[in-house]
Amino acid sequence: MMLIPALVLGPILLGFATLLIPRRLERTAKGYAIAVAFIVAVATVASASSPDASVRWLSRPFEASFHVGWTGIGYWLAVLLAIVTLCALIASRAPRLRNFVGSILILEGTMMGVFATKDLLLFALFWDFMLIPVFLIMIAWGPTVVNAWRYLIYNAVGGLTLLLGTAAFGIAYGTTDVIGRPGVTPLGDLWAPWIFAGFALAFLVKTPVWPLHTWMPDTYADLPPPVAAIVSSVQSKAGLYGFIVIGIPLFGNAMRAAGPLMFVLGLIALLYGAFVALIERDTKRIVAYSSLSHLGLILLAVFSGSDLALRGAYVYLVAHGLFSAALFLVLGYVEQREETRLLDRLGGLGTRNPRLAGAIALSALAALGLPGLAGFAGEILILTGLYRAGYVWPAVIALIPVVLSAAYMLRAYQGMMHGPPVADLPERPDLTWTEGIALAPLVIAFVLLGIQPSPIANVGSTPMGVQHALAETPK
Amino acid sequence: MNYSSFFTPADGQALAPVFIVAVTALVVLVADLFERGHIRRYVNVGLGVAGLVLAAFVEAQQYGHPVVAFSGAYIVGGFSVVFGEIVLLATIFSLLLTAGVGRDDQVGGSIALILWSATGAMLMAGASNLMMIFLGLELLSLGLYALCGLGERAVSYESALKYLILSSMASGFMLYGMALLFGATGSVALAALVDAPLSGYLIVGVGLFLVGIAFKLSLVPFHVWTPDVYEGAPVAVTAFMSIVTKVGVFAVLARFAYAAVPHHRELLVPLWILAGFSMIFGNLGALAQTDLKRLLAYSSIAQAGYVTVAFAGMTPSGLRYAIFYLTAYTFMNLGAFGVIALLSRHHDEGSSLTAFAGLSGRKPWAAAAMTFFLLALAGLPPTAGFTGKLLILASTVDAGYVWLAALLIAGTAISFYAYIKVIRVMYRHEPQARGHHVYAQTFLPWISVAVGAAAVLAMGLYPFVPSDVLPLVK
Repeated sequence: MMLIPALVLGPILLGFATLLIPRRLERTAKGYAIAVAFIVAVATVASASSPDASVRWLSRPFEASFHVGWTGIGYWLAVLLAIVTLCALIASRAPRLRNFVGSILILEGTMMGVFATKDLLLFALFWDFMLIPVFLIMIAWGPTVVNAWRYLIYNAVGGLTLLLGTAAFGIAYGTTDVIGRPGVTPLGDLWAPWIFAGFALAFLVKTPVWPLHTWMPDTYADLPPPVAAIVSSVQSKAGLYGFIVIGIPLFGNAMRAAGPLMFVLGLIALLYGAFVALIERDTKRIVAYSSLSHLGLILLAVFSGSDLALRGAYVYLVAHGLFSAALFLVLGYVEQREETRLLDRLGGLGTRNPRLAGAIALSALAALGLPGLAGFAGEILILTGLYRAGYVWPAVIALIPVVLSAAYMLRAYQGMMHGPPVADLPERPDLTWTEGIALAPLVIAFVLLGIQPSPIANVGSTPMGVQHALAETPK
Repeated sequence: MNYSSFFTPADGQALAPVFIVAVTALVVLVADLFERGHIRRYVNVGLGVAGLVLAAFVEAQQYGHPVVAFSGAYIVGGFSVVFGEIVLLATIFSLLLTAGVGRDDQVGGSIALILWSATGAMLMAGASNLMMIFLGLELLSLGLYALCGLGERAVSYESALKYLILSSMASGFMLYGMALLFGATGSVALAALVDAPLSGYLIVGVGLFLVGIAFKLSLVPFHVWTPDVYEGAPVAVTAFMSIVTKVGVFAVLARFAYAAVPHHRELLVPLWILAGFSMIFGNLGALAQTDLKRLLAYSSIAQAGYVTVAFAGMTPSGLRYAIFYLTAYTFMNLGAFGVIALLSRHHDEGSSLTAFAGLSGRKPWAAAAMTFFLLALAGLPPTAGFTGKLLILASTVDAGYVWLAALLIAGTAISFYAYIKVIRVMYRHEPQARGHHVYAQTFLPWISVAVGAAAVLAMGLYPFVPSDVLPLVK
């Protein structure tokens, strides 16, 4: 009964509780955080059929509740979050480690809230709340302050339009307790476009989509690798998740009207991200731009109106989460060893660090969509769905970055691992056990998901399927 | 008028909480004569808080039992009780800060002056004729003129003089407006305005009255005095001024708008425009500040704008949410001042940004509390600031003032930088920034910080507004 609220509040409260551990017991603090994250991960997986929990929050001027429960894709994103957080904590190495792992736990709880909430107002609350731990981590552990500001200002302004949209939605609709509610009807047409615009801006900034993406590469580059893994793999999904569970059921007409614009933005993001990744020299930024490209594909799927493409998007959301987390973690390992992320200063690491090279190769292959790994399953479903829905040319254009992704991922891999060894790079030990264990759950998950994507693809009815069913029922 | 019933027992009953506060001030002054040393501040603050709690208890009894006292000059009911309780609450916080920072031999006097000022604000909460409004306002201001100068620094004297001159000028505007309103209706009662026909006297009178109100609320463009006065005054006085003056004036404004001129809504439109200016320019002004008191002064300009916006459209729900936000603002602002007081001594106030450099390393709980209060002021979750802003947005959109809601969002977006700049300073580890390490002598500010944080969190999760809040005139 109270399992899902505990999954949200537990990490937040237990994250603050790390302050009670003496500052010098860093290993104890890390062990404690890993234990908490492990329990959260097990509990999240086990909570698939937990009932909703709901407490009334406001009754005027509109109804709102502290209502948490799983929507189909929300559950899988929460599972992804729990796994990625666990891996990130295992891989954590930072000064002032106690506060670092505590902040990560708090971040986990706030993001769990985003995926678990079934009330729009609560969604807006967690949406803003999850920015704060990331901002504080960037302030306290990042190399520069400017990028923390950009992250916060971009996303918090998005959060404000989301809040204004939520307030207007509550006034117009009478209740905000609407996410994942069966039989919910779309909002009337007078207000819907404006309110949807408020939501969409927040979602597009968060995803991010060109031209609102400029905060993203710097943020991912500045964040410590474990947190970059969490933010890029899970937090960036919140916007697309919002389009799926809020946009499709409640703003059907506005979504259709915005479709052409979103297709253009998505295709630009796809191509632009891929081309920049092809020439970028900083490894972390290559992965950041590849994210921009991959998430553009999901944006197409969400706005395509095709149930198949949306199911593909579900798979790809989780798959991208897994391989981008793995990539950020391994790039963190390389950076920690060689103290640089620039491709032209790296090279020839593969001969001395075969295990590290293998880990990077595997993650990169998943990212470029090798059949058999999770990325491929998502991509093929989305592209087929787009094609079947009649979007032939967008599907063809979307194939280009899929090919390019092979080029830039292999270029990054080659640049780091192959070629003549660079003379002045320090010799470091190969992948350690801890580092390997941190990667293992991610790698296992994206291999399994590549072989058998059906648990996520066949998650039950999707919001799109519900819309189609509604449209087909005679009036 | 029947002079034999000029001061009836009912009148006395209506004024009882005000009397209690005023007498408490006398008790504190007398008790102050018999004490020496450090114990003095604890005894004084104990007496003051006890008196305020008693007054709050007596005031609470009046909720739901409207009394018209002094032939309609002073009306006690749900409305005045709610505003009076906020005043008493803010005064309790201010006493804790005064006793935490002030000089041993000044604490008694400061407490007495603060209590007398508070009686002025309490009178304003119930005032329903023009004379009573003015009486309350001047009673409130007189104590503050003296209190502002207590800092014994050059800026402090400047602050006191500036406040005296500019505030008197605003009172002059208001008084002139009142005179014209009297000319228009032939009565000082607010009730006489309800059915007054629209005339030149009425329009100019309302205009000048609103200028006085806007000045006291420090709405743009009548705000220029605020940063200087807030900076110069001792931290406890600034905290008191930032809440209690505003609560009193908002009570007057609400009664004026909702009960006195409900038929002439168009007369108040300029005030909503000023509120829009305040939200933008108040927050813009806060961006460049490097002194926390100045930053909070600019913040208070913007926050006054948010509350005024809730009145736009004059819906009952707007008034309820204005009260909610005002209460939330009381807790978060006084909490923030509480953290400043923690880093202050009498002559050395830790209000500059350098005092907060690396605070998370030195005093992690104080830094966490300050972060929480600043997030609340910025309207980020999980705080009462977030919920309060949402409620104001909802009622403003509902009342049809979408442009004000948009300005509120724009102002909030600007304010993020101002508030979070402070958080950045506290959490960024920059070894070269050697902050000044001064801490309060007593634990008293901790009480206000802890209570404020708990209340800001609780109010954010359980927004509760009493229902019987509509003002009356008679």
